[in-house]
Amino acid sequence: MVCVTLPSHIALEGKKRVRAAGDLPVYAMVGNPNCGKTTLFNALTGLRQKVGNYPGVTVEKKEGEAYSQHGRPMKIIDLPGSYSLAARSPDEGVLRDVLLGRRADTPAPHRIICVVDASNLERNLYLVHQILDLGRPVIVVLNMMDVAIGSGQRIDPTKLEAALGVPVIPCEAIRGKGVVALRLAMSRADLPLARHRWDVPGPIAPAVAELQASLVQTDGRAPLVARAEALLLLTDIDTLRVEGSTTLSPQTHAVLAQWRQRWAREKMDWSGTLIRARYEAISRLCAGVINRTRDLGPSWSDRIDRVLVHSVWGWLFFALVMAALFLSIFILAEGPMGWIDTRITDLGGWVKASLPAGDLQDLLVNGVIGGVGGILVFLPQILILFFFVGLLESTGYMARAAFMMDWPMSKVGLHGKSFIPLLGSYACAIPGIMATRTIENAKDRLVTILVAPLMSCSARLPVYLLMIATLLPKNEVSTPTKIGIMFLMYLVGTVGAFGFAWLFKRTLFKSAPPLMIMELPPYQAPRWKEIARQMVERAWLFLKNAGTIILAISMVLWFLTTFPKHPDPKVGVDVQIAHSLAGRAGHLLEPVIKPLGFDWRIGISLVTSFAAREVFVSSLGVIFGVELKSDDPAPLRVALQAARWPNGAILFTPLVCFNLMIFYVFAMQCMSTVAVVKRETNSWRWPLFQIGYMTGSAWLICLVVYQTGRALGF
Amino acid sequence: MGRVCAITGEESFVQRLREMGLGEAALVRKVSGTTTILCQVNGTRIALNHDAARGIMVEQLPGNAH
Ligand SMILES: Nc1nc2c(ncn2[C@@H]2O[C@H](COP(=O)(O)OP(=O)(O)OP(=O)(O)O)[C@@H](O)[C@H]2O)c(=O)[nH]1
Repeated sequence: MVCVTLPSHIALEGKKRVRAAGDLPVYAMVGNPNCGKTTLFNALTGLRQKVGNYPGVTVEKKEGEAYSQHGRPMKIIDLPGSYSLAARSPDEGVLRDVLLGRRADTPAPHRIICVVDASNLERNLYLVHQILDLGRPVIVVLNMMDVAIGSGQRIDPTKLEAALGVPVIPCEAIRGKGVVALRLAMSRADLPLARHRWDVPGPIAPAVAELQASLVQTDGRAPLVARAEALLLLTDIDTLRVEGSTTLSPQTHAVLAQWRQRWAREKMDWSGTLIRARYEAISRLCAGVINRTRDLGPSWSDRIDRVLVHSVWGWLFFALVMAALFLSIFILAEGPMGWIDTRITDLGGWVKASLPAGDLQDLLVNGVIGGVGGILVFLPQILILFFFVGLLESTGYMARAAFMMDWPMSKVGLHGKSFIPLLGSYACAIPGIMATRTIENAKDRLVTILVAPLMSCSARLPVYLLMIATLLPKNEVSTPTKIGIMFLMYLVGTVGAFGFAWLFKRTLFKSAPPLMIMELPPYQAPRWKEIARQMVERAWLFLKNAGTIILAISMVLWFLTTFPKHPDPKVGVDVQIAHSLAGRAGHLLEPVIKPLGFDWRIGISLVTSFAAREVFVSSLGVIFGVELKSDDPAPLRVALQAARWPNGAILFTPLVCFNLMIFYVFAMQCMSTVAVVKRETNSWRWPLFQIGYMTGSAWLICLVVYQTGRALGF
Repeated sequence: MGRVCAITGEESFVQRLREMGLGEAALVRKVSGTTTILCQVNGTRIALNHDAARGIMVEQLPGNAH
């Protein structure tokens, strides 16, 4: 799918577009991954940021506005989830840097809303404990109270409130329970500061004091923030830096290095000491807060997991899900697709009948309807695909798929977490590439970014489907064969992604085998509303692109194929196109692609579809529609089947159709992906490398397929 | 059921394990898996890949099949 409109937070990133916060109070939402921050953020702001049941849905800060009980606006920042302020991956770095005021584009929040998953209180309080060190007003939200009760725990918010000294609000974000109480608390002018005193363990205390002093003096930090940052710097081993964050002064660096060396000499486990001290403080806080009423034995999720991550049943289920997806793309979509097709054909006929023959009629019928109409037909399939992806994301199966895939992924040198971005890329590579921010190791992340666009995305569906229809005339071939070919394309893409990942990990990005820790969320019933919302959003994006970019490209292409006109108006259409600007450009290109079985007309479409893959279909619609010049608008497939080489040979032979699909599996035909890769890797080097290796391998593989196919007599 | 007795490995990894409550003395139960391990710690399910799980020493607690 074309996503030329980048996700909104990307568009908002530029410094100039960041609104001055003015005197709006700024709240940050923080918490462990998957504890319900975004659900709560949406409930407060009325926005609709993506929610999913797996850790790492939010990877960049999202801003919104809410109103206090007195109607005053407040700014709210939703941050990526993390288990600790000591960041290990880029998304966690965002959280840390915003809270510490290290990011130039975001004001340090005045107040912090700590969302905790009540069903796992102690672990969630670890991050809260670190945040209380910052000395800012904090509101603690005990979310997922329903889950806590379901797992046999009774949690007493008033006791926790008494222990912490800050407001503690029980909540069920998903049902909107507790949101009013939270808003009331946020509206309070006088939020108390935490009664939060814990002693930094003796052996570390002098280091913390010295670093804190240096941070106050040479980095201009407020004393409390400086103490928190000092604690963090000592445990933040690789001090992962995120773009846009400010660096520390040389003096602070020197102090840090000196303490590190000393501890290394004395073999002092300062990080372990610090974590132990915090957990001890937390269990003192929690004493009397949690009451385990009964032990319920294995939960539902445990029982489901016994099957779904089983080494035999698990794979069987995985295969079933995939089979269901492909079947429904072909079978369920047939009806709506035929309906749209007929409407578009009718429209073309109507325009043709009501306008006098001439350039205008031709532009509308062949340029606009032939181009854009050819694409709209595929809306049902794309919706079905997004329905399935939504189902995987909202039930919690996504994380299980990553767990299952860890073993195959380890064979190419990555780990299971990398599979989440890859799976997401079946829908669209752009969110997939954003999702790589949860990967800790920079090299592994880069490899995942490089291979993610090889996973067949929804924009390839129109290309595959058109080619399959051309390759196999209707009714002659059974649906299973069509599904088989389609499945083969997905398989080739996936195997290609794994193959290139293996190659890159062995050559350019050698590193130690990655270590994976991933939390699997409990299963939940699909959130139909959320799935429907995402489907509508994608459908809208698809239609919007069809109405803007694809429309524009189709019209420009129509002009390029129509002008300049051949001096002799009576010449055949093929001569006219060959004479046109597009025809001349196509002929220049032809020598390069002829060995793959593609002619100059296909070549033009390959070039235009660099904007986005589905433009290939609309471009073929314009070029071959113009050429066909039949009185009855016919499906594009028919026009393609009628196309010939100058010597009369059939152009779209089964081998060429197949080869075109293979080309689209590998070639990097998506401008939006290039833009996102540039942004995420911070240089032009990797997107250019990606275009080179993907399109280069597409050409090579197609050459081999075509020449072998010819030799075998296809 | 078992109790973690020692963790070895890359520093930042060990730190994160401890921060997630999988530190020394934590009680863990293996749920499934042979190379990639799924275990239950304190009410959450945590997946560890082979290389990660190798660094965690667990002593069996008596009286339990796992
Ligand atoms: N049972 C229950 N589920 C909830 C509640 N609040 C949120 N959820 C679900 O928890 C899952 C995670 O919610 P998100 O809002 O995406 O969590 P997040 O903290 O933003 O997650 P990340 O972006 O991954 O850090 C979703 O599937 C929600 O539907 C709640 O109060 N009760």
